[in-house]
Amino acid sequence: MSRVDTEPLAASSAARPRRLPRIDRRFLPVLGASVVLVLMLLIGQLRYSTPHRGFISLRLFSNLVADNSYLLVLAVGMTFVILTGGIDLSVGAVVALVGLVIAVLLTAGVPLPVVLLIALLVGAVCGTLIGIMVHYFDVQPFIASLAVMFLARGLCNIISVQSLSITDPGFGRLASWGIKLGTGSDVFRINASLIIAVIVIVAGFLILHYTRVGRTVYALGSGDDGLAAGLMGLPVGFTRVGVYVLSGVCAGIAGIMFALYTKSGFNLTGIGMELDAIAPVAIGGTLLIGGSGFVLGSVVGVFVYGLLQVIIAREGLDSWWTKVLIGVFLLIFVLLQRVVSARRSKG
Amino acid sequence: MPHDAQSQSREVVDRQNILVRATSHHMFWPIVALVVLLVLCQVMSPGFLAVTFTDGHFFGQLVDILRTAATPALLGLGMALVIATGGVDLSVGAVMAISLSLSLTFLRGSSSPDSVGTVAVAVLLGLVVALVIGAFNGFLVVGLKIQPFIATMILMVAGRGIAMLVTKAQITTVTSPPFKWLGSGFVLGIPTPVIIALVVFVALTVLTRWTAFGMLLESVGINAEASRLAGVPSRTLVWSTYIICGLLAGLAGIVYGAPTMAADANNIGLMKEMDAIMCVVLGGTRMSGGKFYLSGTLVGAVILTTIERAVIVFHLPSQTAPLFKAIVVIAVVVAQSSRFRDWAQERRLRRQAGSDSIPAEKVIV
Repeated sequence: MSRVDTEPLAASSAARPRRLPRIDRRFLPVLGASVVLVLMLLIGQLRYSTPHRGFISLRLFSNLVADNSYLLVLAVGMTFVILTGGIDLSVGAVVALVGLVIAVLLTAGVPLPVVLLIALLVGAVCGTLIGIMVHYFDVQPFIASLAVMFLARGLCNIISVQSLSITDPGFGRLASWGIKLGTGSDVFRINASLIIAVIVIVAGFLILHYTRVGRTVYALGSGDDGLAAGLMGLPVGFTRVGVYVLSGVCAGIAGIMFALYTKSGFNLTGIGMELDAIAPVAIGGTLLIGGSGFVLGSVVGVFVYGLLQVIIAREGLDSWWTKVLIGVFLLIFVLLQRVVSARRSKG
Repeated sequence: MPHDAQSQSREVVDRQNILVRATSHHMFWPIVALVVLLVLCQVMSPGFLAVTFTDGHFFGQLVDILRTAATPALLGLGMALVIATGGVDLSVGAVMAISLSLSLTFLRGSSSPDSVGTVAVAVLLGLVVALVIGAFNGFLVVGLKIQPFIATMILMVAGRGIAMLVTKAQITTVTSPPFKWLGSGFVLGIPTPVIIALVVFVALTVLTRWTAFGMLLESVGINAEASRLAGVPSRTLVWSTYIICGLLAGLAGIVYGAPTMAADANNIGLMKEMDAIMCVVLGGTRMSGGKFYLSGTLVGAVILTTIERAVIVFHLPSQTAPLFKAIVVIAVVVAQSSRFRDWAQERRLRRQAGSDSIPAEKVIV
């Protein structure tokens, strides 16, 4: 079963040519990540399978997607930002802010569709703020998004320092809605979060690879600060602000998904989540200096990151070993990427 | 590119009056922000600025602010050097936790935690480990050529795990007067952390400004490839900044944890890397590398600490401090941006042209 799930990703990124030496260098990091994903699945299958239940099962993938669906959405937005050579540290705080806004508005009796729209708007406003600082005031993305991260976190703490539970019946129905396919260990659950995540991934993929905006995103990250793109008449300002708005909206969507997942809003949600979003993007082969990477690479990255946590959990280690191991794996991964792909020199 | 534009606009500005020259100085907006904050606090709570001298020690809110600012200042000073080379060190918060945990665990295990000698060994142990971690970060960045953000993120995640490993996820506490003195003692009436931060500041200033070290760092940050071709030993330089940054992070951890003498590996130094980066940026250093300002970083540290104190003075929940930090950072970086400066200058010229009926071109010339 696993083959069926991972193969399309590997195949689409490995491009058409069959012979190995002819593979486009750009696809190598993604290919590397896919190979590691398959390796991890095999190791898991060998180590954790019991006679009556294999490690690799539909349920594993179902859980993997369900537990990481918000991360998939964040990673897609983050990929766009990183491709332009920027970074968005605000996503974790925005997820928390959106969760709290949803909780407060639903408690106040605002209709659900309006609340969800406002949630997206909150994300978009945060993203726009970063974009304006980055593009018009020449503030480094790191600082601009860091400031918005503190801004959002501070607003969260003003709204509430306690967990607010969401009791709205409509929201509850949305959260519990789902279709079950199969039974036992071959169960695959489709829920609202999964559908949203798939839509975001497909939309991200199409925008990045089949639109002019997508090409401009790559052009912005080519190392000349968008100078060449601007001279070519590409919409530099629109795109640069746009990627941050997109990332903000993705954070808004992820905030909704997280609220669906926990059925509450909490001011301490998502501390360090920005790193959880950046790590898969880096694992998926996107360079942090921009200009090189793929949305599907980030998707593979999220699965590797998620599977890593599953494996560590299966080992039953103490929480501190988990942190150390994640660091070690991150290091091994980055080194593997370096071996697999000859990197562009930073210049 | 931005440096060219900066120096060009600076040339124009130089011909203007002193006020304009002052506003374009990298320290102008940070100091304005600090003064405004302090004045607001004084208005809200009269006596805020008062400093008294009793029992041979200085007391007062200002002294407290300086004492608390020592931690972000130590982190920021190291961070400024790293940022000057175009890098960043996200692991400083975790390094704080590791150093403090190690020092306190050693003290707890020792037979005489009260003796100055034992404390010196404990502190040295914490610092050596911090130095080793810094060297490791440098190795990842320089030796393995991993992007600084990712390279230091590895230890940011793993480091906290290591610190918990040292303390076995317990909150390690000890009683040792000499160790406590590092955080809450006084030297000549001035709090020890302030003295430590000042000594580090002076040492780094001497190192970077009296030797070519600082200039070479800036050259690496501005154009690494050109510097390498010009014969600048950029690998050694960059590596040394990570070592210094790690070492200072360890020192910051010890100074930070000394007053309470409790090592909570999970929370010590949490998000402190972000504070440190903010200090550096508030001081006028740009994240893209190049010119760096150690004195500005100190001012940045004092601003952030004053905000934390101001929130309490204004009777707001202390958790709202990030919001005000964000507002001040946004205000300062926008005020420092070249676009804002151009806009302000244009407006001033237009106003002058309007009132004195002097053609705008004359004023520019």
